[in-house]
Order: sequence, then C-alpha cells, then structure tokens
Amino acid sequence: MEFRLSEEEKLIQSTAAQFVKNELLTREGDYLRQRELFLPAGDPPRRELDPQVRETLINIAQHLGLWTLELPESGAEPIGYLARVLVHREFGRTILPFEPACAPALLAKTDFPKGLAAGKLSLALGFDQIDKTGALDGINTRYRPGAAGFTISNSEITIYHPSADLFLLPAREQGTHRIGLFLIQKNSDGISLEDEVDLTNDARMVRLKLRNCEVPESALLGYEYEAGEILAAEQLRIAARCLGIGMRCLADSIEHARTRETFGRTLAQRQAIQWMLADLSVNLRSCTWLTLEAASRADQSLPFFDAAALAKKRAATMAFGAADIAIQIHGGYGVCKEFPFEGFYREARMLRLLYGREAELNRAMGQTFLKMGLKR
Amino acid sequence: MLDTAVIGGRKTITVIVPREDVSMDFCLSHEEEILRKTVEDFVRERLIPLEPQFEDAPDIFEGSRWKSRARLSRDPVVLRYIDIMENLEKQAEAQGLWHLDVPREYGGMQVSNVAMLAVTEELEKSAIPFEFGNHVSNILYNCKGEQIDKFLWPCIRGEKTSAFGLTEPASGADPSMLQTTAVPDGDHFIINGIKMFPTFADVADFVQLFARLPNTKGREGVTCFLIETGTPGYRVTRSIETIAGSEPCELVFEDCRVPHSQVLGEVGNGWALNQAWLGARRFQVGIRAHGMAQRVLRIVGQLLGADSAEASKFVEGIGHFLGELDALRTLSYFGAWKADQQMDVRSEAANVKLFGTELLHKIVDFALEIAGPAGLRTSHVLARYFRHARARRIIEGPSEIQRHIIQRALFREGVAGLELP
Repeated sequence: MEFRLSEEEKLIQSTAAQFVKNELLTREGDYLRQRELFLPAGDPPRRELDPQVRETLINIAQHLGLWTLELPESGAEPIGYLARVLVHREFGRTILPFEPACAPALLAKTDFPKGLAAGKLSLALGFDQIDKTGALDGINTRYRPGAAGFTISNSEITIYHPSADLFLLPAREQGTHRIGLFLIQKNSDGISLEDEVDLTNDARMVRLKLRNCEVPESALLGYEYEAGEILAAEQLRIAARCLGIGMRCLADSIEHARTRETFGRTLAQRQAIQWMLADLSVNLRSCTWLTLEAASRADQSLPFFDAAALAKKRAATMAFGAADIAIQIHGGYGVCKEFPFEGFYREARMLRLLYGREAELNRAMGQTFLKMGLKR
Repeated sequence: MLDTAVIGGRKTITVIVPREDVSMDFCLSHEEEILRKTVEDFVRERLIPLEPQFEDAPDIFEGSRWKSRARLSRDPVVLRYIDIMENLEKQAEAQGLWHLDVPREYGGMQVSNVAMLAVTEELEKSAIPFEFGNHVSNILYNCKGEQIDKFLWPCIRGEKTSAFGLTEPASGADPSMLQTTAVPDGDHFIINGIKMFPTFADVADFVQLFARLPNTKGREGVTCFLIETGTPGYRVTRSIETIAGSEPCELVFEDCRVPHSQVLGEVGNGWALNQAWLGARRFQVGIRAHGMAQRVLRIVGQLLGADSAEASKFVEGIGHFLGELDALRTLSYFGAWKADQQMDVRSEAANVKLFGTELLHKIVDFALEIAGPAGLRTSHVLARYFRHARARRIIEGPSEIQRHIIQRALFREGVAGLELP
C-alpha cells in the first residue's frame, strides 16, 4: 500500500491547486459580489461567469494542461482517473463555475478533440432517466440500424449544459436491447432543444428532443461497458468536486471559529462547534480515501463501478453536510450570497441527486448483498 | 519501500528508504499478499469448519479473553474449548503463523501495521476468537535489563499475562487526573491508591501500574511500574460484572513497596507510555469492528433470506451500512499505513475509534430491529454483540474524547491533516 502521491501526481495536483488559488479564488469575490446596491424588482438574475473572464481562464487552463484532461494533445499520455480526481478536488474548493472541459477519451477517434481542446466546442452527457438512478437498466431511448447508420427514435432527454454542441447519450437497440453509446451533434436532423429553465444551483437545464434522429455509423462510440465507464467517471468527478467543497467549508469554518467571539469566548472554544467540525472531518477523510481508492482501481483496470458509485454517494452527502455546517458557523454571513457557502449548499444538493440517489444506491447494494453475500 | 533499523539498542522501528516514484496504491505488497492469502486459507480450512461447535460457547470465548480467564476454569465444557484452541495454536505455529507483530529480535515476524490489519481482516471472517500469537502489551517492549526475562519474554511465550492499571475512581477519560502516588524511599517507591477496571487483573501475573511522583500534577511525574501479583500491599479487591461480559477489577495499593528496577521506561516519563498503549491498538479496533459488523450483517442476510416482505423493509439500510463499512475499512488502512511511516497518528487513531465503534453500535442496533425480540435472548449471538458493542463506545476512550482529540488537531493544524500525504 502507498497512500503518498507520486512526484508526477503531486505535480498535477499542485498545478491545479496553484491555478485555483491564483486564477479562480482571486476572482471569486468579484463573482460573488452583488452587481447593484439594491436588487432590481422581481427575481434576482442568475449568477454567471463573465464570458471574457471565462475565455481568459480557458486559455490559462489550456496552457497548464488543465483543460481536456482525458484528451491530451497528440503524443502526450492522457492523465489517469486518480490524477483527474486530484484536479477536480482542487477545482471544488471554489464556487466559481469553472471546471476542466468534459471530453471522454473515447472521443479521440472522432473529429472533435481539436474543437473541444480549443474550447470551441463543448460536450454534455445525455444520460436520460439514469441521471437520477445511476443504473444503466433505466435507459429507454431506442435506436435501430438506419439507411446510412442509425436512427434514434422519439425521446426526450434532460441536459444540464444547454449550450453544449455535442451530446453523448446511451440508447438501446430495438429487439436486442443492447446498449449503444452515441455522440450526436447539436445540428443533426431530428434534434431540438426546448424548455430551457433555471435551476436553483445557478445552472440551467433543457430538454433535448429527438425525433427519428439519423446519425452516421461513426456516431456509435461504444456499448454497455463504455456507457458504464462514462457514468462511473462522472460519479468520480462529482465525488472529487465534493471533496474540494468539503475541504473549503471545513477550512473556512475553522478559521472563522478561531476568530469569532460570542459571550467572551471564541466559537472554537465551544464544544457544539468543535464536534460539528470533528464529525465533518472524519466523514471527509473517509470520503477522500474511498474516492481515491475507486480512482486507483480504475487506473489499475480493476472493477471500479460500485466503488465509484459509493464514493459519489458518500461524498455528495458529506459536501452537503459540510456546506450546511459552514453556513451555520458563519451565521448570517453563511446565508449571504457574498460568501460561497450558500452556493455550495445549493450545488451539493444537486450533486446528491445526480447519477445515483442515496436510496437507490443503498437499495442496489443491499439487494446485491442479500443475493450474493459479502463481496471479497 | 519499508526497511527496518535498530535504534537505541533495543527499539526496532520501521523507516522509509528512498523509493522509486510509485503511484498511490491501495493494494497489498507481494509479501503482504502472500501472508494474507495464507491466513485466508487457514481461516477457511481450520476456523470456519469449527464455527458450529462455537455457537454455544460461553461468553469467555470472545476476543483473546479465553487465554487469561478460561485457562483457570475447571468446567469440562470450557476445557473442551480450550483443547480446540490450543490445537489451533499448534497448527498455526506449524505454518509459521505465529508472533506476527512481535519484533524480530524477540523471534517474531514484525509485520507492518498494514499487514497486521490484513491478517486481522481475514481472521475476522470467522467467528472463532483466534489470534496468531499471545497478547503482548506493546509498552512492554520498553523493558530493560532483567525486566526482559522477568516480564517481556514470559508474555511473548504466553506464560504470563498482564493487566493495565490507569483508570481510577475519579479519573477515567482524563487520566492526567490520576491520584495514585509513588513516593521515593531509598531504592524503592511506596505506592498508595486505587485503580478501577483493569481487565483480568484477578488472573494476571502482574500489572502495569501508573502512579504519580509527589507534588506533581497533570501529565508530569507520571511513572509506570511493573508490579507482580502477590506483592505485599497490592490487593485485587473484587471483580465487577459489566454489560459486555468482561469482569474488570478493583485494585488497592496500600504502602506497596516496589523496587526502582521495576520502573518501566524512565521515572516521570510514564505519560508517553500510557498514550502509546492507548494509540497502538486503535487501527485493530477499527478492523475488528468492521469484521464483527460484517458477521452481524451476515446474520441479517440469513434472517431476511427467506422472507422477501421483510427484506424489502430493510434492504436500503443494509446497503447504507455496507457503504459505511467500506469507509471504516479505508480509514483503518490509512491510519495503519501512516503508523508504519512513523507519522503522528493520534488524530487518525481517534477517527477510527470513533467511527468504528459508533458504526458497529448502529449496525447491531439495526440487526436487532430485524431479529425482533428473539434477538435479545441472552444466548443469541446478536444479543451478545449488542452488549459488547455498547461497551466499546466507552472502553479505551469514549467517543467524546475521540472527538476532542480530532477537534484539537483541527484547530492546531487546520485542514493540513486532511490534505494528501
């Protein structure tokens, strides 16, 4: 066993940490600040990263190799699951909505890596019903061989990244029920994006409507295993981001508790505060090792889907709890949008719901146990 | 890479030699894996077949207790079990599975904390209370001169057992409040005081006693003495029944004269020893709670196996606890690894003790919900675990002390202890 990072892993982690510290955290205050002294009547506008700032950040991230992590420039080794977890964990420490672009390695053989790497194109996952359940058996979009490739029949899919140009979505073959994983372009025939709405976590969602959508043969990128791998990779990304959220909430809460005084003593001297933070740290530590262990298994080509699902479930719950505690310890400041904690709270609530909700994952694990007994 | 070095004459420690750039790795090393596999085979071939015989074994066949108390029994039932256990010891020794955590200079295998955890994890797959080696209090490796032949070797060989005298009527969770005194008198100390709850003191050959020098308070002046049973002025006044079936004792010291040569370590330096004793076994506590909880869940699986209506009520709870057990396992291995690197593991030990004992307690509670009133029959295995698990949240530092240790580290170092090594 070796729980220490290798020099290479340390380098990747510290690159990401420096970028987050120098480029993202320095801009976080600006991003969080209310634009006007008094809010205009009606709903306050959704927070968004300034497009110019985003462009600057993409440039720097590309330069540092922190952009399309799974699709490196030609010749370079792609970085593994563990290293990606390290990177996303660093990005999770800020509420600034900026993360390395999602570009799974299986896109390498398509025409799009250059556009994705340049930041000209972006990709969204269209994992249909299973964005909640995290189990492939929920896929009900159907496809069949068509004239020049495949036809994906009528379906509606939720997308959490409405401005995406490419969609990665699994579907079942009519008759065989075999799962296929497709890459679809926004401008394909039979596709429309409708009903875009704001989400409470400063994101948006949209309905991707498919009506006998014709795609070329090359759009089929993989089958059931590949779909499962994308799902597990997304669970690990969420888990890693949640670890970052947990670290930030814990660190800031400790700092605030050290200095804030009530009735003549600092919060740090109050047991109610100490215990909240102690319990959070135990939880955060266990989530950290579960996530890293799952990622390390993936890098060693060991089975890791269940481990990734567990890491996601626990880490998302932990991050929500961490944000909750940070809000409580910061008091009135905690619920202000000028501080990051209420934003983490809203975001973590969403992350708990994506790709496997607690009850479902628990039920699945429990059923496997009742059928097969303990693993190992 | 791990290597060993002898430092300060006797104390053997594991040190890190410069290594190649290896990635983070959660698998056992080749040697550790061979050891684990050997133990796995031993458990499957030797222990699991004995389980039916142990279903009705008396309470004393839990943990390593049989070695102390049961051996004095005249009950033919108990003697039969002892026969089985001694036979197992012979088989284990024949396979080289003996004295795993004893240092090499004392003829042991001195395996790493990580390997010891892997061994315990395998052993815990069976309900038979078997361990590879005799229980040796880890602070006894501080023995010097004639102490080694008098106290340490007999413990390693299983000829003597020891008790641990720290807690007092008015000092439990905070041992720095201990009041037992050790007054120097020529080349002796005169000891006066009362000790509560040393387990097995009634059958032990000697006690590791903590007392303070005159006019000291807090952690200062605490000194550890090795005092043999029968020393004038030292009496075991009674044993006390507990919920967990263990019977800790009350010890009285009245003008008990102990020679200077029976001070363990240095005079006035006992505080570090008691902390070392408390810290050392925490990672084992974690993996033991893990193993016990797995056995509890296996019973739950049997109870629900034939009843799908009942199963549907509890299946989510099972899934939840399985995930929590994975979390406990990873925390335990991380702590053991960190201990192998000679890093400060006080906070990690507290993490494992807190999380492990609280989790075991919740899982046993959950299992009782499923078993219903029948699970509380005195002889029912779940009822036994129920009584045992409650005590674990107190013994060796209650959960509140563990939280205190954890928060102290947080406010001392911030989140540095949670960053990756």
